[in-house]
Amino acid sequence: MNREVKHVLRNTAIRLKKWTVMSLRNRIALYYTIATAFLIALVFAILYFMVESIVYKQFDDEVNNEVSEVFADAHVTSHDFTSFSRFKTFIDDTAVNSSEAKKDPKEAAKVDTEFIQLVNTEGEVINKSNNLARNVLIFKPGETKTIYFNSTINNSTIRQGQLPLLTRDGIIKGYLIVAVPMKKAIIVLQDLETVFLFSFPTIILTLFVLTRLIAGKSILPIENVIATAEKMTQANLSQRIGLPYHHDELYRLASTINALLDKMQDAFQREKHFTADASHELKTPLAVVKGTLEVLVRKPREREQYENKIQFCLMELNRMARLIEQLLMLARFESNKINPHIEEVSLPLALEAVTARLQPVALEKEIELKVTGMAKATVTADSAMLDMILENILSNAIKYSPAASVVTITVEQKERKIMCSITDQGIGIPEEKLHAVFERFYRVDESRNSGTGGFGLGLSIVKRLADLQKITVSVKSEKNLGTTFSLTFPST
Amino acid sequence: MRLLIIEDEPGIAGFLKDGLEEEYFAVDVAYDGKSGLDHAMTNEYDLIIIDWMIPVISGIEVCRQIRKSGSVVPIMFLTAKDTLEDVLFGLEAGANDYIKKPFAFEELLARIRVQLRSKHQGDDSLRAGHLNINPGTHQVFYETSEITLTPKEFALLEYLVRNKEKVCTRSRIIEHVWDIHFDSDTSVIDVYITFLRRKLEHAGCGNLIQTIRGVGYIIRES
Repeated sequence: MNREVKHVLRNTAIRLKKWTVMSLRNRIALYYTIATAFLIALVFAILYFMVESIVYKQFDDEVNNEVSEVFADAHVTSHDFTSFSRFKTFIDDTAVNSSEAKKDPKEAAKVDTEFIQLVNTEGEVINKSNNLARNVLIFKPGETKTIYFNSTINNSTIRQGQLPLLTRDGIIKGYLIVAVPMKKAIIVLQDLETVFLFSFPTIILTLFVLTRLIAGKSILPIENVIATAEKMTQANLSQRIGLPYHHDELYRLASTINALLDKMQDAFQREKHFTADASHELKTPLAVVKGTLEVLVRKPREREQYENKIQFCLMELNRMARLIEQLLMLARFESNKINPHIEEVSLPLALEAVTARLQPVALEKEIELKVTGMAKATVTADSAMLDMILENILSNAIKYSPAASVVTITVEQKERKIMCSITDQGIGIPEEKLHAVFERFYRVDESRNSGTGGFGLGLSIVKRLADLQKITVSVKSEKNLGTTFSLTFPST
Repeated sequence: MRLLIIEDEPGIAGFLKDGLEEEYFAVDVAYDGKSGLDHAMTNEYDLIIIDWMIPVISGIEVCRQIRKSGSVVPIMFLTAKDTLEDVLFGLEAGANDYIKKPFAFEELLARIRVQLRSKHQGDDSLRAGHLNINPGTHQVFYETSEITLTPKEFALLEYLVRNKEKVCTRSRIIEHVWDIHFDSDTSVIDVYITFLRRKLEHAGCGNLIQTIRGVGYIIRES
């Protein structure tokens, strides 16, 4: 039992698997064909039954005609059953027609003419037309109304009508059974059936093949998508899916995937750049220190020379340590593992702390740090992160300011949001480079040794920290007038 | 031997210049691609070391331009780029060698010497008759006795031996033995030649360096 169940389950699983691996075009064709098959079957059935009922209706009419003829001949109505015996006339009348039958009494009933038979309520034949010969028409007892049905006589189908013969009081005394041959009509119906039965699978099969073809053609863009995607590797994201001619869903699918690829390529490119930049920035000081020391130890030298070179190496190492620290910080912030501790922070107080810390650097260049605007402003932020942001922007401003200039820090409220702007009087950043200032390792001054000592990571860290706290950072700059960095805090 | 270093990182350019000068090379340094290319086009160098990522004109482009001018001077790339594609790209641009940062100074030196070997030379040592010069150790032997030379004397002798059987004009000697900061007073060569001849004579190979009057000097093996 258990084994049997397992077997069945396995079979089902295999079938299911086959089903799931079925190609889309086959499935579309199959669904379509099944739906159409039902429809066609229905139409065929309706047609068949309509034709059948029309045919039967005609035969029923013929039977009725025959019945009225019988009554006319017998000068009776079904109600006037008292003259029951006078059917004799009719019988004699039809006997003329059956003169041939008389030639061979043993001959079976001829089926190309109408048959008439009279029975009593018990079903005993009272009288019948001669052409019936030894055959008897089927009688269905107990019927109170005229009924029509098919039966056979000598293996050929006939349509029978069975009419109850009533007395004036409504008592059934017997039945008049009239039958007409249906030979030709049956052939028609059978032909129709054959046509339907043969054409059905043919139509369905043709339909399946055609739909499969059409479906295959209409999902061709999907094949394109697959082919393109298969060609794609991490290193080569430049491939794009060809857009189909029609602006349909597939067009949208293709263009959506293309847009996604653009983004991926961009991100990948940036990552590659970052790795290359980081590797360069790390390897260069390493190469400098290594090379300097290697050259230094090749020969004995003066004490002063040793001291100079070692000092130089220490400087390089310090720079490298700073870079590593910034890289690690960036990595930590970007891994999203840091949860900012958001609280209410007084912005002026935070600014005061940062300006106080940077005052010595500013004084060295005779730069004035001017704080203006609201004296009281509460923002929601992580105070340590906010401090880092402000220090980075402010020290940047000091770094790029000419000597004896002013760095203005403004706190203001705009549209219910608190904004902090830090403006320097430096040479400004060219417009075409403005968008890139937050990118990692980006420096407006391209030469790596501009003497400013930065790595181009500070603003990336600022951006990342701001994002974490939902603070918007923006920058605008005017040539030779200065640059403004603005922080917009989320409304409380 | 005169080298050009095109490298924007002063730290690296600095120790390269120091280290190579100690190895008796005359070294010029350019800090960006454009000035590097200018140097390479105006002076005759025995080898050029180029960093890939340098401002104004990239190292690759500098290398291409030098090759386009028809020069076959050995070019070495020095760079932090280290993928296989980068290496191939650099070599295809016309570089003779490629060394990745950070590198060992000794390796760089050895690779420079490989590039400076002439086609017929199996190793680094140079010969002229019974005179044997080892550029790696800066030793000069006549038969079995060693001759002690100053760096400049050594560089001068090395250049002449490398170009033996060819007349070396004074200006070419200046080009290859002194760096760019030397003002072109060619009489200094005659002074050094005199020193050299005296030392060689002392060791027993007096007539090695011959004067071509009004032109320069030549070393003939026979």
